[in-house]
Amino acid sequence: MKFSGNWITEMTGGLDVTTKELAQLVTKKTAEAEGVESVGEHLTMVCAARIEQVEQIEGSHNRKAVVETKLYGTRTVVCGAPNCRPGIMTAYVPAGCVLDGRRIEKAVIAGVESDGMLASGAELGLNRETAGILELNAEPGTAIPGCGPDSIIEIDNKSLTHRPDLWGHHGMAREVAAILGRPLRDPVDLSLLPEGEGAIGVNIEDYALCPRYSALVFENVTVAPSPLWLQYRLEAVGLNPINNIVDVTNYVMAEIAQPMHAFDAATLNGGTIYVRRARAGERMVALDGEDYALDEQALVIADGEGAVAIAGVIGGLNTGVTEKTTRIVLESANFQAGSVRKTSSRLKLRTDASMRFEKAQDPHNTLRGLARAVALLRQVSPGIRLVGGVADDKGELVPAPPIDLPLDWLRRKLGRSVPSEQVRSILESLSFGVAEVKAGEFQVTIPSWRATKDVSIKDDLVEEVGRMVGYDTIAPEPPLVPSSPPPENPERNYLHQVRLACAAQGFTEVSNYSFVNQAQIAELSLPEADHVKVLNPISSDQGLLRTSLMPGILRSVRDNSRHLDNFRLFELGHEIHKRAGDLPNERLHLAAAVYSKAGDGQAGLFEAKRLAECLLKNAKVRQTEAKAWEHPARAYEVVWRQQAVGRIAELHPNLATGRAAVLDLDLTLVQEMGSEAVKYQPLQRYPSSAFDLSVLAAERQPVVEIEDLLASYAGPQLQGIEFVRQYVGPPLAAGQKSVSFRLRVASSQKTLSAEEITAIRAQVIAGMEKSGYELRV
Amino acid sequence: MSAANLESLESLEQDALQRIQSAAALADLEAVRVELLGRKGKLAGLSKDMGQLTPEERASRGKLLNRAKQALEEALEQRKSAFEDTALHTRLQAEWVDLTVPAPGVRPGSLHPVTLVQREIEDLFVSMGFTVLSGPEVETEHHNFDALNIPGDHPARDMQDTFWLEGGYLLRTHTSPVQIRGMRKLGPPLRMIAPGRVFRNEELDASHEHTFYQIEGMMVDREISVSHLIYYMKTMLEGLFRREVTVRLRPGYFPFVEPGFELEIQCLLCGGKGCPVCKQSGWLEQLGCGLVHPNVLRMSGIDPEEWMGWAFGLGLTRLVMMRYGIDDIRHLQGGDLRFLRQF
Repeated sequence: MKFSGNWITEMTGGLDVTTKELAQLVTKKTAEAEGVESVGEHLTMVCAARIEQVEQIEGSHNRKAVVETKLYGTRTVVCGAPNCRPGIMTAYVPAGCVLDGRRIEKAVIAGVESDGMLASGAELGLNRETAGILELNAEPGTAIPGCGPDSIIEIDNKSLTHRPDLWGHHGMAREVAAILGRPLRDPVDLSLLPEGEGAIGVNIEDYALCPRYSALVFENVTVAPSPLWLQYRLEAVGLNPINNIVDVTNYVMAEIAQPMHAFDAATLNGGTIYVRRARAGERMVALDGEDYALDEQALVIADGEGAVAIAGVIGGLNTGVTEKTTRIVLESANFQAGSVRKTSSRLKLRTDASMRFEKAQDPHNTLRGLARAVALLRQVSPGIRLVGGVADDKGELVPAPPIDLPLDWLRRKLGRSVPSEQVRSILESLSFGVAEVKAGEFQVTIPSWRATKDVSIKDDLVEEVGRMVGYDTIAPEPPLVPSSPPPENPERNYLHQVRLACAAQGFTEVSNYSFVNQAQIAELSLPEADHVKVLNPISSDQGLLRTSLMPGILRSVRDNSRHLDNFRLFELGHEIHKRAGDLPNERLHLAAAVYSKAGDGQAGLFEAKRLAECLLKNAKVRQTEAKAWEHPARAYEVVWRQQAVGRIAELHPNLATGRAAVLDLDLTLVQEMGSEAVKYQPLQRYPSSAFDLSVLAAERQPVVEIEDLLASYAGPQLQGIEFVRQYVGPPLAAGQKSVSFRLRVASSQKTLSAEEITAIRAQVIAGMEKSGYELRV
Repeated sequence: MSAANLESLESLEQDALQRIQSAAALADLEAVRVELLGRKGKLAGLSKDMGQLTPEERASRGKLLNRAKQALEEALEQRKSAFEDTALHTRLQAEWVDLTVPAPGVRPGSLHPVTLVQREIEDLFVSMGFTVLSGPEVETEHHNFDALNIPGDHPARDMQDTFWLEGGYLLRTHTSPVQIRGMRKLGPPLRMIAPGRVFRNEELDASHEHTFYQIEGMMVDREISVSHLIYYMKTMLEGLFRREVTVRLRPGYFPFVEPGFELEIQCLLCGGKGCPVCKQSGWLEQLGCGLVHPNVLRMSGIDPEEWMGWAFGLGLTRLVMMRYGIDDIRHLQGGDLRFLRQF
């Protein structure tokens, strides 16, 4: 929202600070000023001038004009404007003046020296008129009436979300007056409102959606461009001047935050304005030329025939003010914020009006809007006449109840005390009513423009007092509270340990999106129906929530394999699984990948396994059926404490060039399994002995199975079994391997004798042979 | 001992010493040792007839022989150890290693920059008695909006471009829903922070992401004021920036706090004079905060007449970018190891 410094100054009767300083004060106490911009600085040099004489330059569309400027004497300029003719008063820009960043210099144009220039409204930044040079009604040498340099303060709209009153200059002027301790002038004169019956009927269907609709009828209207000062002011705050009638409605909106709309009375059917919900299938062509399809949730303004405006958003094209208009119905209404917001977002149409109504405007403001418009219309459309009184339909406007403000409570909230007289003067400067009902407690009444949503409880008043005394007057202090260790979050600690362990094993942490797309999940054969859908994705590329970290990991592997030959990466993130009738089940997973451009991929798989073992003590793997995206012969489950907690696999070679081993662990499951209590085992008292055995087995027989079998035959005296090596090749038959183990045995009762050890060994060999294994002894 | 024998002992010794000195290898020394000191060696030969001597002669001959034997043994030992030294030296020289060749084995990977900064903030608050909470990424409208005093038609819902999901759920637009979960789980008094991933429906560019990280913090106790809020925020920021900072509050609007603030610190680069980093304002926006709105307390079952609180929400992603001078937000979710390995 742009605020004109001049406009504010008119209402505070001056400022004691520069606009820049004011912007800083407003930022600290009211709303964030994003910047201050000077406009119209050149207007101090521009003056009115009469064209004395005009002469066509041969071979050029330009003309040579002699102008009387008074201020700069008689000057000769070259001008191409079609309306450049003797006798008119226009705007003269001397050499040295800077227009829109361009310095005007004496120059020879079409062979004629031009000393300065004659300017259009657009060139001077007063309006958007480019068709010709300005035609003024002023004395030569004088400034352009009502158009001087101004400073525009740009306030961040977001910081005005809760302040309907600050969507107009008068509201901001009130803040400025309170901050600077200056008086505030009200531009509205309610005595201008006519008495008597309204010349048009108003019928509101639902006061909840439209608490108030006020209107006035004017006749003998002349539609023409507004005076330059009005156009310039609208232009300065970012509004587009259109014609005098529309400009007045916009001016009132920018001044007192009351959006208004003017209908051409001749185009309205019947003598009543209806405020009702749109009918199913109802359409309206709006002022922006678009044809809007409305539904029963939209509120419209309608005449006897159909919708003539979408309430609080935009007027209809066919009932708008045109050059031919002579009679108007001026609407000044109040609409429910939520309803306007919904309609505006459904139609994807945000207008200056809808932005204001969305903030919950004050229903008391409609009459003020009309009164202000009466004054302005009389200025810009001479001869205009009011017809009848104010048509005003409204629901019950319940005043907000006063707030009890205990001053000690205020002190406790702020963390500093503010003298009661200062509290009073701050609140009063912001138009709150203050009464001391009992010692140490104020009863505060809320001005209507702050009562719609912004202020309703005592906490809201803490802000009013706090910001005005200045938050920088509150010293930071620690609270007096008992000190105790905070409740632990074992999950957080565990996750951090996992991260550190992964990093220690050479893996680098990546972070992928929670979104996936159809192509990504199809590649991994993840069923689309399992995924939670995003109803309004940024692009169809991000329409689903991940049920696996693998799509992201695959992406990371591919992207990085373009730059790197070997890498390890991991991610900790949530898998999001649909759950009927409840929030999705979010499971925390670790996904890791080991990539190598060259090699047979075995090393990567073992690294993935080692990472699993680092994270889960005594984790085992067992071969499992490969999923579609896994290498068909290289897929394994990770088993920890007899439960499958994850997978290790090599990515199917179709999915990536090079070899990538991936690990996926369900950390939620691991967490749920909890940690096992550590129980001390007494140290072995008697010495142990070891012997080696080599077992012949089928090449694809997992070593762990042979090991388990050996252990089962060795009996209770087995202390440990260690894989030593395996061998494939001659003299072994094809498809065979020899696996060597070292078995360590001992007794807790005594030192085992050589005979006893031999007996255990024989028992193992016999068992293995019975199980069909040949031993190489 | 006869004079001849004596002479021959002396010359034997001299000759042997000479040979020891000039030995070229360990084998030469061994030959000398066997020849003179061996069981059948020359010195043994000279003591053969000792039995025939008088006790006096025997004592004096024994003395002489012993001296010669000792002298030779000493010389042999010296020479031998010289040979061993040389041999060791030669072997060790051969064991020269070029350690400038890269060491084998895996180097540690690195943690994501968001993880690093998040961990710092967690540690800071845990040390001040705060607990760390987590919440789901998919949330209900109730937790994300209603319970935070943002009803259906509230304009604040415009400030947040929400990703809506089937089933009426949404991706949380801020970490604030964890406040609600925390209040319900812990009850008052409480001190908590909640870091996490949040989502806004925004087009991706160098400074906008639809997926980013926030940290939420909240304290509820009997007596909580703006002054306490400033204290904790200043303490956190000083811990993060590892230097003294000047903070200031200005009015800011968040429906779940009242009053609400934007908290800024004086620009660390220019000290408040104005520079490109602070866009000439002298101040850097850090976070939003305020005193917990009584409606929010009430909706989570906490009586606002009995308890007060403060809360803050911090853009962790922005902080990470500031800390490391990262100029493109897309790097953070980009997964490029050339970027991630720098941390």
